[in-house]
Amino acid sequence: MPGTTSPPEIELIIEDIGGGRGNPPPAGDDDGDDGGENDNRRRKQSPSPRRYSTAITIALVSILMFFMALASAFIVLRHGSDVWVSVHLPPILLANTLILLASSFTLEAARRRLSLADSSGFRKFWLLTTGLGILFVAGQLIAWRQLVAQGVYIASNQASSFFYIFTGAHAVHLLGGVGALLYVSFRKSDQKRISLSLAAEITSYYWHFMDGLWVFLLAVLYLGK
Amino acid sequence: MANDDSAANQAGTPQTGFLGRHVFSTDHKVIGLNYLWLALFSVFLGLAMSLLMRIHLVWPGVRLPFLSGSTLERYAALTTFHGSLMVFLVLTAAPQAGFGNYFLPLQIGAREMAFPKLNRLSFWATAASLLGLTIAFLAAPETGITLWIASVAIFSVGSLCNGINFSVTTIDLRARGMTLPRLPLTVWAWFINAILSTLIFSVLLAASVCLLSDRLLSTHFFPPLNFLAVQPASFVANFLPMLWQRLFWFFAQAEVYIAMLPCFGLVTHLISTFSRKPVWMERLVVLALCGVGLFGFCVWGQHMFASGMNPFSPLVFSLLASSLGLPATILLISWLGTLWNARIQLNTSMLFAIGFVSLFMAGGISGIFLTGRDFAAAAVSDEFITGHFHLVMGVAATFAILGALFFWFPKLFGRRLNESLGKLHFWLTFAGVYLVFMPMHWLGLLTHANLDSGSRIAAISAMVAPVRTFITVAAILLVIAQGIFLFNFLWSLFRGEKVDERNPWRATTLEWSVSSPPPADDFGATDPVVYRGAYEFSVPGVAEDFVPQHLSPEEVAKAR
Repeated sequence: MPGTTSPPEIELIIEDIGGGRGNPPPAGDDDGDDGGENDNRRRKQSPSPRRYSTAITIALVSILMFFMALASAFIVLRHGSDVWVSVHLPPILLANTLILLASSFTLEAARRRLSLADSSGFRKFWLLTTGLGILFVAGQLIAWRQLVAQGVYIASNQASSFFYIFTGAHAVHLLGGVGALLYVSFRKSDQKRISLSLAAEITSYYWHFMDGLWVFLLAVLYLGK
Repeated sequence: MANDDSAANQAGTPQTGFLGRHVFSTDHKVIGLNYLWLALFSVFLGLAMSLLMRIHLVWPGVRLPFLSGSTLERYAALTTFHGSLMVFLVLTAAPQAGFGNYFLPLQIGAREMAFPKLNRLSFWATAASLLGLTIAFLAAPETGITLWIASVAIFSVGSLCNGINFSVTTIDLRARGMTLPRLPLTVWAWFINAILSTLIFSVLLAASVCLLSDRLLSTHFFPPLNFLAVQPASFVANFLPMLWQRLFWFFAQAEVYIAMLPCFGLVTHLISTFSRKPVWMERLVVLALCGVGLFGFCVWGQHMFASGMNPFSPLVFSLLASSLGLPATILLISWLGTLWNARIQLNTSMLFAIGFVSLFMAGGISGIFLTGRDFAAAAVSDEFITGHFHLVMGVAATFAILGALFFWFPKLFGRRLNESLGKLHFWLTFAGVYLVFMPMHWLGLLTHANLDSGSRIAAISAMVAPVRTFITVAAILLVIAQGIFLFNFLWSLFRGEKVDERNPWRATTLEWSVSSPPPADDFGATDPVVYRGAYEFSVPGVAEDFVPQHLSPEEVAKAR
C-alpha cells in the first residue's frame, strides 16, 4: 500500500545506530500489561532514565568547548607576547593532581563493589572518593594562598590571570562533581527516578572528565610557562 | 483519541494564581509561550530603538528620547541595545526556545521536555538577561557595559541549558514509532540547532567571563588601551585586538545560523503543508540542515577578513563560507520543488513562508559577494553589510516566525488570526523591508565604487543624503504597518474566530491530534504511537489528501 512505510526495518536500522529511543521502552519498567507489537493504546510512561546519560554527555562536550575557548585564548596570547611574565607553578599542584587521579580509581573501585552488590564496600570507596575530591579543592586553595604569599595576584599579569581563571573555573566545575558524589551517597533510597547504579555511572562520567580536564589544563599551563 | 480530554487534568499538580500558572510553571507549553511574549515585547522595543537611530541619522537636530547629552555614547548604547534585543531575545529566543519549547515535545509525542525544571531555569535566565540588558541601556556607560556583559553571560547559560534540554528530549523522549526518518523537519532543525547552541554559547560564555573578570578583577585578557600603550608595538599590532574578535566571532558567525536553522525547519514545514505535497527530497533536506549546522560552526573566520589575520586563513574561510551555498541551494531547490505544480493554499502563513524564500534568495545573492575576501574587507562596516544581514537574518527570520505564528495560533489559543488583516500586514511588510534594506546595499556599493577618486566625493554625498532620508521614511512606514499585526494579534487573542476542530489546516504532525489548546499533559491517558513519516500529503488511494502520523494502517484502510 502506498503511503505506509514498512516500519520494522527502518526501526531496526535506527536502533543499530544507537538512537532508537522512538522504539518501545525496554521490558522491565512496564507493569505487566505490555501487549504485543500491535498494542497501539499505550499507558502513560515516564521518560526513560537514559536521558540523564545523554544529558551529561552533551553537557560535557559543552564544558569542553568552554575550556577550549579559554585554552586557545591562552595559547594565542602566549604566542603573541614578547613580554610574557610566567607564573612559578606551586609544587603542591603535582600532589593535587595525584590526589585527583587516585580519586578516579577509588570511584571505579566503588562502582565495582556496587556491581558485586557489596553496598558497604561501595559506600566506603564512594566516601573516600568524595573526601579525595574535597582534598583536591583544598589543595588548590593552598596553591592559591602560596601564590598570593609570593605576591602573585589574579591581576598581576596575563599568566597569573590565566592561572587563576583555569584553576578557578575547574574548581567550580569540580565542586559540582563533589555535589553529585554527595547526592549519590545521601539520596533517599525511595527515590526511584534514577537507579543507584545509573546515578553512580553518570557521576563517574563527569568525575573522570574533570580529572582528565585538569591534567589537560595543567599541561597547558606547564607548556606555556 | 476522542476520550483524551477527560483525563487531561490528572497529570501535574494543579497550580493556582498568575505566578504559579505562568512564572513557576514547568509545563513546556507555558514556558514556550512565555518566550514568545518576551520576544513580542522585545521586537517592538527593538523596532522603536531602530526608528530613533534612523531619525537621528537623517535629522540630527531633532530632540529624541535616550539621545540627549553625549550623543555619541548614547547612540552607541542605542545600537547595542537594538542589536542585543533583536539578536538574543527575538531571533534566538522566539524560533528555538519559543516555538521549540511549545511544539517539539508535542511533535515527537513527548509529554514534557526531558528536564522541566532546568527548562524553567533557562526561561528565568533569559528573562533576567532581558531585564539586565534594559537596565544596562539606561545606566551610566561604565556600569552599563559591565551589566551588559553579565546579561549576555546569563543569556548564554540559559541557552546552554536549553540546548541540552532540547537535544536530550529529541534523543530520548520520542514516542513509540517516531524514528529519526519520521521526525518532522521542524524537529530536525530544532535538534541540530540545539547541538550547535551547546557548542557555541559556551565559547561566548568563556569570552564573557574573561571580559567580566577584566572589568571587575582588573585582569588583562583583553587589555584596555592604557595597558597597550606601554607594550611593544609588535605585541599590540599582531595579536591583542584579535583575541576578542576570535572568541566573539566564533560565536557570532554561528549565531547567524542559530537564528536561521529553526526558520529553515519552520518554512519547509509550512511550504509542504500548504502545498499539500511531501517535502521534495526530504532526506537531502535533513542532510542540508546538518550541513548548515556543521559549516556554520566552521566559518567563524569569515568575519575577520578585515582584521589582518594570517593571509592563508581567509582563503580557507572563504571556501568554507562559499560551501554554505551547497546546503542553502539544496534547501532552496527543495522549497521550489515542493511548490512546483502544487495546489498552493495562499493564506497568510504561506505568504510569509514564500516571503522568506524571496528574502533568502535576495540575501543569499548579496551574501555571495561577502564570501570574497577583498570585498568583505572593504565593505565590513558600511551599509551594504547592514542591508545584507538585516534582510537575510533579521527580516527573513521574522517572516518565518510570523508564518509559524499564523500557522500555530489556532493550536496555541484555539482562535484564528484574522486573515484579511494578516494579508494586508504581509504585503505592507514585504514591500517595506525591500524599500528599507535594498537602498542600503546600493549606498554601500556607491560609496565604495568611488572612494579612489576624491573629486567626486562631494557629488556622491549629494546623492547619498536623499536616499538616507528615503530609507528613514520607509522605515517609519514599515514600523507603523507593524501596528496592524499588533492589533490583529491582540484582537484575535480575545475576539478571533474560534477553531473547534483539532486540525484546521489538515496537517499531519502529532500536535494536531490533540485539542486546541492542548491539555496539560498533552496526550491524555495514552501515549501516542507514530506509524508514518511527517509529510504524507496527497497520498494516492487514500480518502483525504493527507495522512496524519498517528493514524494506524488499519484506520487508514477503514477510512478509504
